[in-house]
Amino acid sequence: MSVAAVPAASIPSQPSSRERSRQRAIRRFRWSILAPLILLLAFVLMPVLFLQLYFSFHQWTVYLGSWSDAEYVGLDLFREVLTDPRFGWAIVRSLAFATGSTIGCFVVGFALAYLMRRPFRGQAFYYTIFILPMLTVPVVVAYTAEMLLYQSGPINDLISRIGGIDFKPMWLTDPNIALPTVMLLEIWNWAPFSFIILLAGLAAIPSEPIEAAEILGASRWRIFWEVELPLLRPVILLALVLRFLEAMAEFPKTWALLQGGPGSATETLPVYIFLTTWQYFEISKGAVMSYLVMLLMIVIVLFAIRLLRREKQSLDAMYAKQKAAG
Amino acid sequence: MRKSRRRQLTAIMRYVLLTGWAIIAFFPIFWMISTSFKPDTQWFAWPPFYFPHPPTLSNYLNVWFGAEEYAATQYAISSQKPLISLLNSTLIAGTATLLSVLFGSVMAYGVSRYRILSETRMFQLLMLRMIPPIVIVAPLSLYYSALGLLDSMTGLILIYFLTTLPYAVWMTKSFIDEVPREIEQAAEILGASRWRIIFEIVLPLIRSGLVATFLFILILTWSEYLLALIITKTQVTTLPIELSKYQGTTEGRVYGRQAALAVGITIPLMIVGLIIRKHLARGFSFGMVRR
Repeated sequence: MSVAAVPAASIPSQPSSRERSRQRAIRRFRWSILAPLILLLAFVLMPVLFLQLYFSFHQWTVYLGSWSDAEYVGLDLFREVLTDPRFGWAIVRSLAFATGSTIGCFVVGFALAYLMRRPFRGQAFYYTIFILPMLTVPVVVAYTAEMLLYQSGPINDLISRIGGIDFKPMWLTDPNIALPTVMLLEIWNWAPFSFIILLAGLAAIPSEPIEAAEILGASRWRIFWEVELPLLRPVILLALVLRFLEAMAEFPKTWALLQGGPGSATETLPVYIFLTTWQYFEISKGAVMSYLVMLLMIVIVLFAIRLLRREKQSLDAMYAKQKAAG
Repeated sequence: MRKSRRRQLTAIMRYVLLTGWAIIAFFPIFWMISTSFKPDTQWFAWPPFYFPHPPTLSNYLNVWFGAEEYAATQYAISSQKPLISLLNSTLIAGTATLLSVLFGSVMAYGVSRYRILSETRMFQLLMLRMIPPIVIVAPLSLYYSALGLLDSMTGLILIYFLTTLPYAVWMTKSFIDEVPREIEQAAEILGASRWRIIFEIVLPLIRSGLVATFLFILILTWSEYLLALIITKTQVTTLPIELSKYQGTTEGRVYGRQAALAVGITIPLMIVGLIIRKHLARGFSFGMVRR
């Protein structure tokens, strides 16, 4: 489909001198627009990435004084990190956390969006309430969770009263459920994100195909699976992909609430890197882990971007067709 | 007849389910607000107090204004300066967001009209946002300390500017794409320069979009935690960091004080979010959702 978009300007012609100076002006204009981004990349991001690479191959801790004293150790640090079972577990935890919370956010968000896809009395009220958790600062979520979840706290009290049972899980101190607890918080915090995207997606579905299917006598269930869901695919992918990436990076709640504990039950990748760097002061080991995580994330992100791009192109094509049709 | 009964039942089911989640969504926020008005004996009483009895303002006065006479001495945390943090947070988040929207919207114009970034590059730009910040904080803090930017507003503003720029470009581009080109062409014929077209025609036309983008990015910068935790030390703290200082105090759990601070941090954000609630989907969806 992109073949059709070749601009007429690419046909070779004899440019006049006026045309040439215009081209030059446009080029200058482009560069001056891009300048701030290029400066930021060159003076903030590049040196940082370079330093990270340097520390990955040089053993350095804060006790050593200046960086240049660091000893070159080749791939030793990579070997150390890759054989560190704690690092392996941190990866597993992060992936589990991200997968679980992504699915949770999606299920809740989709259910709410589907229930609210048509206008009804009170819709604006529910919408307002539903987006509030997303507007709560993550650190505040962590501390409020602590106020709610201690063993004789209000959540357990409320559930015990309503259910008429003695409900007393140790949400934050039982190593078996600490990570799921943080996952639940993540879902509470970010289900609104999936909700608003999916609701907007549902609202953008054209009504003609659904009406056509209804006239043809398709059941509600078939319409959902065979008409609505395929039309929603780009938005669903977006909700899943973005949520997964954000969940992989989740730090404020996990750290502020549990600092990786109890034991190492909530030691996800960001938490373990943070501990290594700022509590054990093993800057170099932290840099290596960062480097590996960055590579892992770049692979995931590139894959995600490919997915999203393909969906966006098909979506753009669909809208273009719709526009052309009327 | 049967059909209308069924429809009624569906409607009732819908309200039940929605109300159920509304309670789950709102309860923690309610608890935070309620706790912020509780006297210290009710912070973790058993059975829990659901409403403050009687409500008191002492948490607010103590936390925000350091009013000693309202503090039971063991809970007084004298070294905290939330009002200064509030000022810092406002300045840092405000400046970074302003820069981001200003440069982002000009870039977005370039992308929309001159394709200065191909679609591939636009997606690659998103990587700045999608790679977890934890992987760069250590080298960043060392680099900043070499430059003397550690513990300064400039340092935080720069890095927030960089990490929110992708969102600004994507979001403002979605507004600029909707502006018809005829107006610009007319202005060009009349001899307006490209910069004048941007600043005097296009950007004023998407005013409300710019405000939405500004507020959207403000939400991100206002609540940022990790970078602020590393880059700020003592001179400059933002509100989320100020709040986290209450955690490590030796006085034990000071829920009421934390809640009073948390309410102050969260309420501005909620107001901002509710103002732009219609644009939230656009901000998050990178052109995949249109209305």
